[in-house]
Amino acid sequence: MTAGMSMTQRTEWAVLATPMVAFLLLFLGLPTILNLIYSVSEVRFETLRSPTLTGLQNYAAALSDPAFWRATWFSTRFAVVTATLQCVIGLALAIFLHPLLRERSWAVGILMMPLMVAPALVGLMYRLVLHEFVGPVPHYAYAFLGWSPSFLSGATVFWTLVVIESLQWTPFAFLLFHMAYSAIPAELREAGLVDGAGPFDFLRFVELPLMVPTLVIAFFIRFIDGFRVFDNIFVLVGSGPGGSTASLSIYIYESFFRQGAIGRAVAASVILFITSFAVLWVLTRLAARRKS
Amino acid sequence: MLQALRWVVFGLVAFLINFPVLVTLVTSFKTPREIATNPTFWIEGPTLANYASVLTITDRLNLWAYLWNSFAAALIGSLLAVLLALPAAFAIARGRLGRHTLLPLVVNLRAVPLIIFAIPIYMGFQLVGLLDTRLGLGLILTIVNLPLALVILVNAIEELPVELDEAARIDGAGSFAVLARIVTPLCRPALTTAFIFGFITAWNEFLFGLMLTTRVAVPVTVGASFFFATAGGGVQWGLAAAVMIVAALPPMVLGLLMYRQISRSLLGGALKG
Repeated sequence: MTAGMSMTQRTEWAVLATPMVAFLLLFLGLPTILNLIYSVSEVRFETLRSPTLTGLQNYAAALSDPAFWRATWFSTRFAVVTATLQCVIGLALAIFLHPLLRERSWAVGILMMPLMVAPALVGLMYRLVLHEFVGPVPHYAYAFLGWSPSFLSGATVFWTLVVIESLQWTPFAFLLFHMAYSAIPAELREAGLVDGAGPFDFLRFVELPLMVPTLVIAFFIRFIDGFRVFDNIFVLVGSGPGGSTASLSIYIYESFFRQGAIGRAVAASVILFITSFAVLWVLTRLAARRKS
Repeated sequence: MLQALRWVVFGLVAFLINFPVLVTLVTSFKTPREIATNPTFWIEGPTLANYASVLTITDRLNLWAYLWNSFAAALIGSLLAVLLALPAAFAIARGRLGRHTLLPLVVNLRAVPLIIFAIPIYMGFQLVGLLDTRLGLGLILTIVNLPLALVILVNAIEELPVELDEAARIDGAGSFAVLARIVTPLCRPALTTAFIFGFITAWNEFLFGLMLTTRVAVPVTVGASFFFATAGGGVQWGLAAAVMIVAALPPMVLGLLMYRQISRSLLGGALKG
């Protein structure tokens, strides 16, 4: 088709794609360039139009800031822990509940509900849920255990946030697994059982290997979302006791808005930008190599 | 036996993952006095007073304004994303334009933390006067929605038989006519899904709402947090709960109506990414 494509037709395709490309250049391309310029300049809110070049000072400021590294560590740890939890629980649920959900899509709908609620609102809701006087969780903890942990103190806050994030987003992983598991042909299952494979052998040697691509994708998506987490943490605890819950997104936001350290915030953005694209580039190459 | 256990697990999971919404819903029907004394799931004297007062406009807080801001910005953000993505998806699917460059680039945007672009966008908006406007917020929400809209529409167009295009071209139709008369009507389900999903995503967005608005164009996800910070006597939990339920309701209703299509497109989008 491409070979026989006329000049006018090729122009037409280009024209059709132009609005989107122009929009992306304006709202993402231009900001990228501005990021690069501001990251090597000294800039304040009063001098936005006339930044003075200073070289790599901003990068040095970001890279020598302990808070930057603490935020990087928080984001990484949070992303690994939540993505792993969500994939393990989501996979187990999808397989265990499959006979129940196969013919009942309304039940899948109920499990999807948390995905529809804004994470920022969920974070606010947990202010109520975990409140020591009006919240039901401390109330029932006292009633049944006679004791309630302070969920948002320095020692526990990380795991509280992990649970909050996982309760909301395990349904996403579950949904991907549910659909992938449902797509395994029934004949394959029957053939396996005829061959005398027990259900657990069959799960281990046939079904799980078939699910591996979905597992990789789900982990990747959940990792990314965990790494860039902002909304629910920000509204619930901000950057937390002693900055202990600042993700990289929160770090950049606070550097910019609270501390007015524009240069450092922009340099951190560029570092995050380069890292993201490097990781994505490597992953895309790996995926392409596996296909070919 | 095993089936009964499955129902138990299902019920437990459904309760746990929806727990914050359920607690908030129950609290929103309690009087302030009851909230202070009874944090359980049981409501002794149900009341609609919280809803009545949050939906009443006062000088200090105006929930309707936040809802309108969210609606307007989400509408721009979802409609514009679909309008920009449709012709581009057509060119990618049928013209193989940028199949290995443009498409992966846009799709990968979903995996990039958008805060990276937030600071220059903030400064640019300040220069051109788009800060604290519904239009400005809507334009950024368009960026948020574009990747998934593009994937959904490329998938949908690739599923259409190419013979339809070719027949129309033999009759003398150009690319624009094929798009307008053949592809667009046939893609209506995918267009709806992309639009609804984009609307939900945009309504639920928080970070750009927080950064790019201050007073006039504040969306409800940001405005809801204001109800936690008002008055001297601490948080009025009944009001705050009612606000959160009202703010969470539109995307939940849309999601329930559309969950089959949405789950399918989530999966499609995930596999392409």
